[in-house]
Amino acid sequence: MLHRLESLKSCTYDRMDMTVPERQAARLKWQQQNHVVQNNNPVELCASSGSVPRFQGLVGSNLGSGQMVELKRLEVFLGTDNFQEFLNFPVTGPEFGDSEKLDLLPPEAAADYCISRTSSCQMTALDTAVMKEEREDMVLEKMESTIVSGRGSFNKRKAETVADHKSKDKRIKGEGEGESEVKTKCSTEISRNSSKENSKASEVQKPDYIHVRARRGQATDSHSLAERARREKLSKKMKCLQDLVPGCNKITGKAGMLDEIINYVQSLQRQVEFLSMKIAALNSSVENLPTKEFPAIVANFPAAAKLPEMAGLPCFQLNPLQKESVNCMLNESMHPPQTEGIASASVSISEQSLSSSSMTQLQPFSTWNMDPQGLYNMYNMGFH
Amino acid sequence: MRPHSSLKQEFLKEWIKGLQRCSFPKKSILERKKAIKLSADIAMASARNGTTCWSRALISSAAKDGSDNNHLVKQILGPESDRPAVENKAPARQASVCKKILKRSCRIRRRGRRKCGAAAAPSSIAKHLVKKRRQILRSLIPGGEFMNEICLIEETLDYITSLRVQVDVMRSLATASVRGTE
Repeated sequence: MLHRLESLKSCTYDRMDMTVPERQAARLKWQQQNHVVQNNNPVELCASSGSVPRFQGLVGSNLGSGQMVELKRLEVFLGTDNFQEFLNFPVTGPEFGDSEKLDLLPPEAAADYCISRTSSCQMTALDTAVMKEEREDMVLEKMESTIVSGRGSFNKRKAETVADHKSKDKRIKGEGEGESEVKTKCSTEISRNSSKENSKASEVQKPDYIHVRARRGQATDSHSLAERARREKLSKKMKCLQDLVPGCNKITGKAGMLDEIINYVQSLQRQVEFLSMKIAALNSSVENLPTKEFPAIVANFPAAAKLPEMAGLPCFQLNPLQKESVNCMLNESMHPPQTEGIASASVSISEQSLSSSSMTQLQPFSTWNMDPQGLYNMYNMGFH
Repeated sequence: MRPHSSLKQEFLKEWIKGLQRCSFPKKSILERKKAIKLSADIAMASARNGTTCWSRALISSAAKDGSDNNHLVKQILGPESDRPAVENKAPARQASVCKKILKRSCRIRRRGRRKCGAAAAPSSIAKHLVKKRRQILRSLIPGGEFMNEICLIEETLDYITSLRVQVDVMRSLATASVRGTE
């Protein structure tokens, strides 16, 4: 998950001019801490994990008046230990700006979450911040769906299970949430931060209930939920197809996969054409094509029983060959009794007819030897 | 997925039955080839017993009144009573679905024209590519025009397995015939 974020370094976001509420939040922190920050390596910071250092960054970048109340609450939620570490992280805005702008986003989200949670008497500015954040998240999602999920998971993946991950609510329209929900968010936030920072962060107890909620950064209306379920179904099926179609293992992405599938289906259809042509050519002289060869093949269905009988026939020379091929192809060890019945019936009838006509039928075949060869060449060339 | 061997046996059985029913025209190799292929296709489709969309579509399209190999198909299908039912269901369903698809495609075409200018975003280009390929896949699979995406992928899966079975059986038969001539 971290490497995903790192990859997003290249994306430039104009995040340095942060929204007003974020700045305000930053100012709060600063006022509280009174410049007790040192510059660390921003990269390190990004690598270590996000939201907390980011918050620091936000703090560092702007000074302003803040509210002690909010800070206090923040402290409570985040835990004083974390908060201390907050302080030790690098701060200055521009530095943050250089490194991993995208990293700004999750922490801003975190910041927003924190802030929104902390104060019930939320300023409307923060509301808008949260709303904007949501919108940004949705935009983000559209741009890079993996990133969004990575973000959510980046926030949670270390410690939490999927259920927890899903329970993290995106519907944070600010305040007005029930106490239990706040607690949930709280705990998720805290656990998120803790997973971010150090493993030693205090573990908040997980919520008792598990909501199936929209994942972080995604819309919550039923349409998008249904859409997401549909997409997951699709991807599952595509995975099955990947196993079926040879050479699809290395290809990721729908377009490439579909390409391979199309090619494969086309090639199979072409093979069928070629083979039918070949069979037509091979057996063109024989009127009773079905009665000649197929019964012999069918006779092989009951593998053991009929063989001795077939051995006695004049057309026996065909049978071993066909037997072999059919054995290979059908892998027959067990046959349903019905097929046996049918086979035996047809075989008994055709055997008699074959025994009389086999000699006459065999001769014309020699004239067609060239054609099969030509067909073979065609067949082979068609697939190169 | 169904085990291959049973599917192969079923397919072979049906194919043999079909071939036995149709009178082999000795005129040209192409005619024979057509008959063989047709019987193989129908056998493949009937091996599914109407459970999949593509099989029904295949049979119904082969048995259409306007098609040139209609007589062959009738012969191959023979006196089986369930076939007409299958045929009757499919066209009606297809007609209604056709209309829906037409409407959808008109809407999409209009939207597509509007979007043409703003198609620079990579995601939209990717979507466009995927859509194109889906269209191609739809044209390949019998009855594909009437399916939504999930159905399409499922049917593709089934169709690919059936095609594989068909190819295997035909190939073994061909090699057997070749060896028989030597």
